[in-house]
Amino acid sequence: MTDRYDRQERRSAAPTQTRGTHSKRSIFRRTVLMMVVCGVLMFIPLGWKLWDIAIVHHDEYQLKASNQQTLDMAVSASRGNIYDRNGNVMAMSATVYNLILSPNDLVKSVPTEDEEGNELSDSLYEAAISAKQEQVKRDLMALIPTLDEEKLDTQVHATKYSYREVKTNIEEEDAEAIREYISENKTSAYLYLIPSTKRYYPYSSLASQALGFVNAEGGAYGIEAWYDDLLEGTAGRVVTTKTGNGVEMFNTYSEYIDAQDGYDVTLTIDATIQSYLEKAIEEGIQDYAVQNGAFGIAMNPKTGEILAIASSPDFDPNNYSLISDEILNASIDTNAETIYQQLKANNTENLTDEELRSQARGQAYNQAVMAQWRSKAVNDTYEPGSTFKAIVLSMALEEGLVDESDTFTCTGGVKVEGYPNIIRCSKRDGHGTQTLAEAVQHSCNPAFIAIGQRLGVERFYEYFQAFGYTEMTGVDLPSEAEGINWGSSMTNVDLAVASFGQRFTTTPIQQITAFSAVINGGKLMQPYIVKSVTDQNGNVIQNTEPTLVRQVVSEQTSRRATAILESVVSEPKGSGHNAYQAGYRIGGKTGSSETGDRSRIIVSFIGFAPADDPELVVLLAFDKPEQTYEGSNWSTTGVYISGGNMSAKTAGPMLANMLDYLGIEKEYTAEESAAVDVSAPKVTGMTVDQAEDALKEKNLSYRTMGSGDTVTSQIPTAGASVPGGSTVILYLGDTKPAETGTVPDVTGLSYEAAKTRLENAGFFMRAAGVSTYYTNTTTADSQSIPGGETAAIGTVVDVQFFNMVEDGAVAVD
Amino acid sequence: MARKPKRDLTLEEQLARGPIDLPFLMLVLLLVGIGLVMLFSASYATAYYDSSVGNDPLYYFKRQALFAAGGLGIMYVVSKINYQTLRALSFPLLGGSIFLLLLIYTPFGVTINGVTRWLNVFLVAGPTFQPSEIAKVAVIIFFAARLSKRDTEKKKKFTRRTSWGRFLNFLEKIGFLELVPYGVVLLIVLVLVVFEPHMSGTILIMVGAASVLFVSGINLGWFIGLGSIAVLGLAVIIRFTDYMTRKMNLWLDPWSYPQEGGYQIIQSLLSIASGGLLGKGLGNSIQKFNYLPEPENDMIFSIVVEELGLLGGGLVLLLFAMLILRGYWLALHARDKFGTLMVVGITTLLAAQVFLNIGVVTNLIPNTGISLPFFSYGGTALMIQLAQMGVILSVSRQIPAPKKD
Repeated sequence: MTDRYDRQERRSAAPTQTRGTHSKRSIFRRTVLMMVVCGVLMFIPLGWKLWDIAIVHHDEYQLKASNQQTLDMAVSASRGNIYDRNGNVMAMSATVYNLILSPNDLVKSVPTEDEEGNELSDSLYEAAISAKQEQVKRDLMALIPTLDEEKLDTQVHATKYSYREVKTNIEEEDAEAIREYISENKTSAYLYLIPSTKRYYPYSSLASQALGFVNAEGGAYGIEAWYDDLLEGTAGRVVTTKTGNGVEMFNTYSEYIDAQDGYDVTLTIDATIQSYLEKAIEEGIQDYAVQNGAFGIAMNPKTGEILAIASSPDFDPNNYSLISDEILNASIDTNAETIYQQLKANNTENLTDEELRSQARGQAYNQAVMAQWRSKAVNDTYEPGSTFKAIVLSMALEEGLVDESDTFTCTGGVKVEGYPNIIRCSKRDGHGTQTLAEAVQHSCNPAFIAIGQRLGVERFYEYFQAFGYTEMTGVDLPSEAEGINWGSSMTNVDLAVASFGQRFTTTPIQQITAFSAVINGGKLMQPYIVKSVTDQNGNVIQNTEPTLVRQVVSEQTSRRATAILESVVSEPKGSGHNAYQAGYRIGGKTGSSETGDRSRIIVSFIGFAPADDPELVVLLAFDKPEQTYEGSNWSTTGVYISGGNMSAKTAGPMLANMLDYLGIEKEYTAEESAAVDVSAPKVTGMTVDQAEDALKEKNLSYRTMGSGDTVTSQIPTAGASVPGGSTVILYLGDTKPAETGTVPDVTGLSYEAAKTRLENAGFFMRAAGVSTYYTNTTTADSQSIPGGETAAIGTVVDVQFFNMVEDGAVAVD
Repeated sequence: MARKPKRDLTLEEQLARGPIDLPFLMLVLLLVGIGLVMLFSASYATAYYDSSVGNDPLYYFKRQALFAAGGLGIMYVVSKINYQTLRALSFPLLGGSIFLLLLIYTPFGVTINGVTRWLNVFLVAGPTFQPSEIAKVAVIIFFAARLSKRDTEKKKKFTRRTSWGRFLNFLEKIGFLELVPYGVVLLIVLVLVVFEPHMSGTILIMVGAASVLFVSGINLGWFIGLGSIAVLGLAVIIRFTDYMTRKMNLWLDPWSYPQEGGYQIIQSLLSIASGGLLGKGLGNSIQKFNYLPEPENDMIFSIVVEELGLLGGGLVLLLFAMLILRGYWLALHARDKFGTLMVVGITTLLAAQVFLNIGVVTNLIPNTGISLPFFSYGGTALMIQLAQMGVILSVSRQIPAPKKD
């Protein structure tokens, strides 16, 4: 190209013109222009834009920025504890850990390069990943042997996910080893522990329905639910900045609001009394083949404090979804089948058989689990049956319509105006003529119908209201049920059956509260279960004082009614005599309630002690003892189905234990003290006469074995404790006592027969139950050493006596 | 290099030993210093959370400081070189940079995120060297060297007898023939850069070349004409390519695309806005904690404003403005046209980078991905930047001292 230019240049002779004429000036001008544009003008839009963003839009954008930068974390408050009245921990919270695996990050943690930095081939990389997965799986299994290997395998291979709970609720001591593993193997990118809290119930199933439990949403059921607000405390907050990855940044912008820990709650419940109650319930269910569970309440009648409240089937709040009750578990299968049939008949969504079955099973499980969480004593209602007669009695006494000298004649049934059929008494051939006290002892229906008639509908209903049957008790437990009654439309027939506690319903807590009013001087108290609420420093936040709802009957009436109710237990003919315990003045009233289902009777007993100044009132009821056939009066375990034969009998020893525990002193009557244990005096070496004197002093009789003058040995040995009135065996001469003997079976025998048979065999009998005031229907029910077993001669055998009473449920057809 | 006594020096050599322009030097040093401090502040969070750099908060700072020190050394050395030698060096420099650009298309090229802009270089750790950085200066120096001879270049005359000759005469008259060599060089370089692909590099090379051509006195008509064609072409591209349409939408309303694409600019705006007038204080940016992507790189100015406020950011802009003004001042006073044109080219390049970078972080213009001189992380870029400043300083040495009365 240059060549051509040159050639052309040479050819042209014209004066040359340069390309950049006037260039100096133009360069100057244009440089100045550039200077102005790039040095000044250019910065104007930049400055304007900066101003616009940093100043004009400052607030708007700043808000957006702080929204994304702020980390607002809740700091969980620790939940308050629940104590029983003596300060025993019934529920507490502790920190536990959840082990989290991120299968996704586990894969990422495998390097894509080998040690020399060369990229791994796909197959090698994949092999490295599965080796690592296996490794982690193996390590975890070694670390926590209880893990389900199959489940863990699925979790490890769920590589799309980054949050898998390997194990929840790991306690501190186990967490330590895991923590060590994590830090040693640097697994925190994909395997880590997060803290969580767990609620512990040290007494496991004790008072489970009363305590309730805590689930993810907070307190569910029981006190945990009712007092949730107080227990849970207020969560604190940390407002701080976070990085783009969501990690907290600690700096001056942080703001901390402390968490307010939950308050502690102290219950009126006494763990010991509660355990006696639950033990009695368990025994009763066993002894009477109870099908539908049971409930019981122990209360201080003077204050309304609930000392124990129980319901069966129960559960362990530590593991509240587990159904451990056998009957309940069995019911799942039968219910599932029923639900399955229903679903199948109404299968609109065209589900497969398998889906229907699992759905049915799920529903059946839910029913069962709800059943065990239910506190029957508060959430359910029942017909109180004859236990209500105590209330009717006090109404009539208060109104002066009856007094102790009145007599009632029972012919086994009575006709009530407006009702076509005869209303029967539990004793079909009638109780004959009886005093008021006897009518109560017999739980005689015609007598109470007569008393009810004297009251009249209006007066009866007024008292019915006054005793609190038409309102809730206001107990501090969730979901208190309300009973059903006739209201203002009550008729004379309603009154007749209501007189013995049928055809209206009440909650057990209501029933025991009303009963308490009868025996505590006529005061209807509001029952309560929380004694006090304290903060973490022990300051009392709330203290429950006994609340008097109203004075229902006079103190005088109450005293008279209490005396009559005591005779129900103390009199051998009383329906509650099976609750009798020597040394305690126990009173009470039995009941056998109908439910409308002929195969289901609820047997109950409300007992109290000491009768002169009640400190304790207990309601114990069993729902549906299994009948030998439908409508039968006998249970499959051979017990006549009634409150007196069942609840009262179980309640007796339980009451004795509770009273003993409460420190209520035993006061023996003359008859009772005769049977109190004495220690055998040393009579060996004495003559028979001398021995006789020594034994008499201790209220013991004797018989001799062998021949001779001097006692060479004795059964029992000196110092051994035997019941008063026992016969000591004195061995004379060379005769030596046998070492052991076979205990005879005395069940079913009368008191005397049982005592004689045991003593002939070389044993002693310590009678319990209704032994002191026995009748010809009193029989030995059980013995501490079963018949046929071998025991050391001289052993004291405890024999439980029992009085058969006819106070069964009466069908009002 | 043994220092020759002054009397032995030629006039040229004496001129080359003249005093350096202190205001310009001071401004450069100030910006490098502030840039380093801000780089540390902006990068330590990123580095701390990045296990690939060993979670070392000082990672970026240490490297940048090393390069800054090296760069200042190079600047000093370059300032000592008599810039007249660059006239002769302009050809090999251009040839060399074209060679390096070609190397990118060989296995020496390093591909990051689908684009191949880097070379694996020997002395520098990692693939941080972009040949286009050299190409920018090479084009400017080459253009300056050639255009400075415009005054002595005669207009070409062609025979009027043939229509071809008359056509060539016409082309010479409108100044087209003069532009042909520049056009060819520019085209070669641009094609190589465009296909890396490297949009921002292309823009800067064009701006640098255009500034030299403009100041040298090329007819304004060409700028107007080519400029209009470029604007038209761009409009068509924007209208008819999804990629560019999307980019424009992102620019016009980044808030509607908080996840796809708009994220970076939104975070940049939030950073600037949270700075307010006085800023959160040095080191107190929160946005740099993994909110703002690449806070140590293109987006560093957002962090400057977040921490130092509008006032601090404004001060940085003021320093840049002063540096640019001083640059043009030096160009005006340069001893010869070559110096003037070269300084104008380099200064305009710097100004364009500042404008394009800050324009992007403030969403004044669509995202182009241009780093901020002296501030953004990038070792070789900083060294080459400082070498360019060295060239300007070298020119400043030969400015005749004002006559003393």
